[in-house]
Amino acid sequence: MANKKSKKDSSNRRNFLKLGLMSSVTAVAGVSLVSALSQEEEKEPSGEKVRLLTPDGKIVEVNAESINKYPEAHVTSAESRKGIPNRKFVMVIDLAKCKNARNCVESCQKAHNLDYHEEFMKVQLIQDNEEASPYWFPKPCFHCDEPPCVTVCPTGATFKRDDNIVLVDNDRCIGCKFCITSCPYSARQFNWGHKDKFDNTDQPYSPETSVPAAEGTVMKCDFCPDLLRQGKLPHCAKSCPMGVIYFGDKNEDIVTNGEETVRFSELIKDRGGYRHLEHLGTKPNVYYLPAVNRQFPLERGFDVDEEIIERYKDVPYVQELKKQNKI
Amino acid sequence: MKITNSRYSVLILLVGLFINTNSIAQENDVSNYRMLFNFNTTKQHDNSRLLEVSFIARNKKDRKDKIPVYDAEIKFFNILNEDEVLLGASKTSQEGIARITLPENQQYLTDDDGYINFKAYFEGSDAMDEEEDEISVKNLFLELNLEEIDSVKTVTVEAFVLDSLGVKTAVEEADIIISVGGMLSNMNIEEGTIEAGEFEYEFPIGIPGDVNGDLTVNAIIEDHDEFGNVIQKKSVNWGVFDREFVEESNKLWSEVAPIWMYVVLTILLVGVWSNYIYTIRNLFKIKKEGKKLDLETEN
Amino acid sequence: MDLNIRKRELVKEFSPMMVRSSVTLKLWIGLLVAIIALGLVAFVIQVLNGHEATGMRDNVVWGIYIINFIFFVCLSYSGAFIAGILHFFNTPWKNSVLRIVEIITVLSIIVGPIFILLCIGRLDRLHYLFIYPRIQSPITWDIIAIMTDLIGCFIYLYLTFIPDFAILRDNSEDIPNWRKKLYKWLAIGYKDTPSQREKLHKITRTMSAMIIAMAIIAYSVLAWIFSLTVQPGWNSSIFAPYFIVAGLYSGVGVIIIAMFLIRKYLKLDHYIRKIHFVGAGVILLVISLLFGYFTFSEYFSRWFSHKVHDINLLNTLFNRYFWLFIIANYVGVLVPIAILFFKKFRTINSITFAAVIAVLGLWLNRYLIVVPTLETPYLPIQDTRPEFIQYSATWIEWSLSFAGIAAFILFFILIMRLVPIIPMSGIIDIEREQQRKTRIFSKKRK
Repeated sequence: MANKKSKKDSSNRRNFLKLGLMSSVTAVAGVSLVSALSQEEEKEPSGEKVRLLTPDGKIVEVNAESINKYPEAHVTSAESRKGIPNRKFVMVIDLAKCKNARNCVESCQKAHNLDYHEEFMKVQLIQDNEEASPYWFPKPCFHCDEPPCVTVCPTGATFKRDDNIVLVDNDRCIGCKFCITSCPYSARQFNWGHKDKFDNTDQPYSPETSVPAAEGTVMKCDFCPDLLRQGKLPHCAKSCPMGVIYFGDKNEDIVTNGEETVRFSELIKDRGGYRHLEHLGTKPNVYYLPAVNRQFPLERGFDVDEEIIERYKDVPYVQELKKQNKI
Repeated sequence: MKITNSRYSVLILLVGLFINTNSIAQENDVSNYRMLFNFNTTKQHDNSRLLEVSFIARNKKDRKDKIPVYDAEIKFFNILNEDEVLLGASKTSQEGIARITLPENQQYLTDDDGYINFKAYFEGSDAMDEEEDEISVKNLFLELNLEEIDSVKTVTVEAFVLDSLGVKTAVEEADIIISVGGMLSNMNIEEGTIEAGEFEYEFPIGIPGDVNGDLTVNAIIEDHDEFGNVIQKKSVNWGVFDREFVEESNKLWSEVAPIWMYVVLTILLVGVWSNYIYTIRNLFKIKKEGKKLDLETEN
Repeated sequence: MDLNIRKRELVKEFSPMMVRSSVTLKLWIGLLVAIIALGLVAFVIQVLNGHEATGMRDNVVWGIYIINFIFFVCLSYSGAFIAGILHFFNTPWKNSVLRIVEIITVLSIIVGPIFILLCIGRLDRLHYLFIYPRIQSPITWDIIAIMTDLIGCFIYLYLTFIPDFAILRDNSEDIPNWRKKLYKWLAIGYKDTPSQREKLHKITRTMSAMIIAMAIIAYSVLAWIFSLTVQPGWNSSIFAPYFIVAGLYSGVGVIIIAMFLIRKYLKLDHYIRKIHFVGAGVILLVISLLFGYFTFSEYFSRWFSHKVHDINLLNTLFNRYFWLFIIANYVGVLVPIAILFFKKFRTINSITFAAVIAVLGLWLNRYLIVVPTLETPYLPIQDTRPEFIQYSATWIEWSLSFAGIAAFILFFILIMRLVPIIPMSGIIDIEREQQRKTRIFSKKRK
C-alpha cells in the first residue's frame, strides 16, 4: 500500500515538475517572441543617419544627405516664378506596377521634413465601381496646365511656371485656403498650427524646396525643382522600388523611372495613358497607365501598418476582405 | 523514457527560442560582413580613362544590408609582369566609390597581346583584410559618325584598337548600345553588335531633341571582357522639335488677367465711386449753405 | 401744424429712449459685453495656438467662420436691397422700418468681414491683398464689393440721419453738452431749407438706386466664390440668384425680429403696428416660397441626374446631416409658409416666430452648403483622423460666433441711443404730406 502511495506521490511530483517546466518554457517563449516582434517594429529614424564602414573596421553613423539641400545658388521667391528654361515637366505613373510600398510617400516626407500624417504624395486605394478591380493610386499634385488653384489665389502666392510646375510661395500666402477648396484632386494641405520645425533656419526658404514650411500657409507637392536643377529625379520617382513613377520633359519627349528610359509619347500611346478627372478641364500633367496586367496581387499592398489599412475601410473590396477575415 | 524525451524536447525548444535571428536589429560586428570589392574601367568620350572601385560590405545573412566603406584609400596600378606603376590613388566616397581619371595621353605598359593590366589595391587594416582586384583591357577607340546618307540619318560606329605600330585593327565583335541623351537619363534606341569593327544604324525619325533640335547620341559598350566600358557621344541637330511655344498670358491663371476683366472692373468702380463723390460734394454744398444761413442769422 | 412745435413734440417723445437707461438695458449691455469678452479670449487663444484651435482641418478648411461671414454679408446686402426699394415706395408705413433696415445693413457688413478675418491663416499679411491683388480671383472681387458696399451703405445711412440730427440739434433740451456738440457737428448745417431739402432728396434718391444695383452685384460676387469652382454642390449656375433670395429671406426675418424687439422694449406700439408685421410677413411668405423653390430645384436636379459625385454629396447630406437638412430645408421653409399663408394665423407673435424659424433655417442652410461639399471631394478622403473626415466646430468658433451676434446687438443698441429709431423727419414728412392731401381734398370740396 505504502509503495503504491509513494509511487503515486513521486509520479504526482513528476507531473508537477513537468507542468512547471512546460509553463516556464511557454513564458520564456512568449517573452522572447514579444521582444522579437517589438524590436522588429522599432523603426530606425529612417533616413536621418546612414551607416558607413571606416577603414579601421568600425561601423559609424553619419547624417544622411537626403534632406533637401540647396544647389549652389539659392533660388529666391521672385526667381522661383520663372521656371527652368525650355522644359515642360510631366510625370507618368504606372498603376500596373504599384504595390503600395509607400517608398514614394516616405522619401518625400523625409526630403521635405514632413510629419507622419503630412503627405505630399498620397497613395489611395481606388475602386471605380463594384465590379472593378481596385488599384493603388499614388497621387501627387498634378501641376495642371489650367490650374483652378492658381486662378483663385487672391495674392498670387501660388503660380504656374513656364516649366509646368505649380509652386506655392510661403512668403506671400495669406492662408485664405481658397486654393485648397478649389483643387478637385485634394492635393493641397494647410499648416494649421505652429510646429518647431518651422523655426529651423538652417537653410533659407525657397518655394522650390518648400522647406521650412510656415504656419498658416498652404503646402503641396512641388515636383522637387531643386533636384531637377541638378539633373536628378524627384524623390518619389527615385525611391520607388517597382519603377512605378516616370518623370521627364515633355519637350524632349523622354521620361525615366531611374532604370527605364522611354519616349513619353510612345508610353502614353502604347499603354493607353490617361489623366484623372479629365472632364474637369484642369489639364493635369500627371498621366496614369491603367492597372492592367498587374505584376502583383492587390493583397501585397496590405503589408503595412494597421492605421494605414484603416484608411481604406470604405473601399468595397476592403470591406469584403474584412468580412472574410483576410485582413 | 517519456520524461527523458520531454526533457530533451524542452531543452531543444529553449535553445531554439533563444537563438532569435531577428532580435538583433543592428549589426556592429564587421566579421558578419563580406567585403565586395569591384573594379571596373570606362573609356570616356574624350578618350580619357576612368578607373573606378566600388567597395561595399554586405551582411552575410541579410543580402539587403549593405554598408559602403568610406574614406578607404584605394591605389590604382598599371602592372606588367613584375612592374607596378602607380597611376593614382583616391579615397572612397560615402557611397563607397573611389575613382581616378587618366588623361588621353597617358602611357600604359601593355603586354604582348595588347592588353593593359590594371590593379586596384586596398591596403587593409587591423580589422579589415587587404583587397585587390585586377582587370585587363585593350584600349579601344570608338568613333561615332552622324551623317545624313541619301537623306537618311545614319549612325555609324567604328571600333578599333591601335597596336604598337599605330595600325588600326578592327574589333571582331562587341555589343553596342546607341542611346539619346535626355535631361535626367539616356534613352536607349538601339542595341546591336559591332561586326568587323563597324556598326550602322538608321536613326529613328521623330525624336524631338531639345528646343533647338539638338540632341546628343551616345554609343556605349558596356562591360566588355576585353574592353571594359567604352563611351562615345556626339551632338547633332537631328531633333524634330516642332512644339510651338505658346506664350500664355491673359488667362485666368496667368499673372495678367484677361483684358475684359480690367475693363469691367474699371467701369463698375468708376461708376460707383463717382456717385459717392457726387454725393459727398452735395453734402458739402449743404454744409456751406447752412453756414451761410448761420452767418446771416447772426447778422 | 406748426413745424417747430411739432419738431419739439417729437424730440420730447423720442429723447427719453435715447438718454434714459433702465435696469434691463444695463443688464442686457452687461450680458452682451460679457459674451464679447469671451469671444475676445477665444480670439487670443486662436491667435496664439494657430488655427489648430478651431475644428477646421485639411478637408473642411472653411467652417463656421465662413458660414457666419456669408450669413451676415447676405443680411447686409438684403438690407441694402430692401432699403433701396423702400425708398421708392411712397407709402406712409415704410417710415417706421426704414431706419431699422438701414442700421441692420451697415452693422452686418461691419460684423461679417470680421468673421472672414478670423478664417485667414496669416493676419499679419493682410495688406498683401492690396499690394499684390489678382483680379482673376473671386476673393479680390469680394473684397472690392464689400468695401464699396460698406462705404456706400454708410454714406446712405448718414444721409438719412442728417435731418434727424438737425431736429435734435435745434430742439433738444436738457441734454449733456457733448451730445449737443455731437449733433451740431453731425448735422453739417442742415437747416431744412427747401434747397437743402431738395439736394438731400436728390442724392438720397441716386444713392438708393445705386445701392440696389450694388447689392445685386455684391450678392453675385459672394455667390461666385462658391459657384465658380468645380466642386460638386457648389458649381451650380443658379447660385447667384439663390443667394439673393436666401439673403432676402434672412434679411426680412431679421427685420421682423428687430421690429418685434424694438416695439416691445421701447414701447413703440404706436409706430410699429400690426400692419408692418403683416406686410413684412407677406413679403417673407413670398420669399420663403421662392427660397423653397430654389432649394428644391438645386437638390432635385442633382438627385434626378444622379451623377456620381452629386449622389455622394446627397448621401452625406441625408445620412450625416439628416436632421440638419430637415430643419433647414423643410421646417425652415414650410413652417413660415404655414404660419404666414393663413390670415387667421398672422399675429405679431406668430409672425415673429416664423421669422425666427426662417433665420435659423437659413443659417443651417448655409452650413449645409459649405460643409458637406468639402466633406465629399472628388477623390475620397482616406484618412483615419476623425477631425479630418468630419467637421465639428470647437468652442472657440462657437464663442466667436456668439460674440459676433452680441456685437451686432450691442452696436444696434448704441446707435439707438444716438438717433431715434423712428426717423422724426420721416414722421414730419408724412404729416406734411397728409396735410397737403387734406388741403387739396378740402379745396376740391369747395
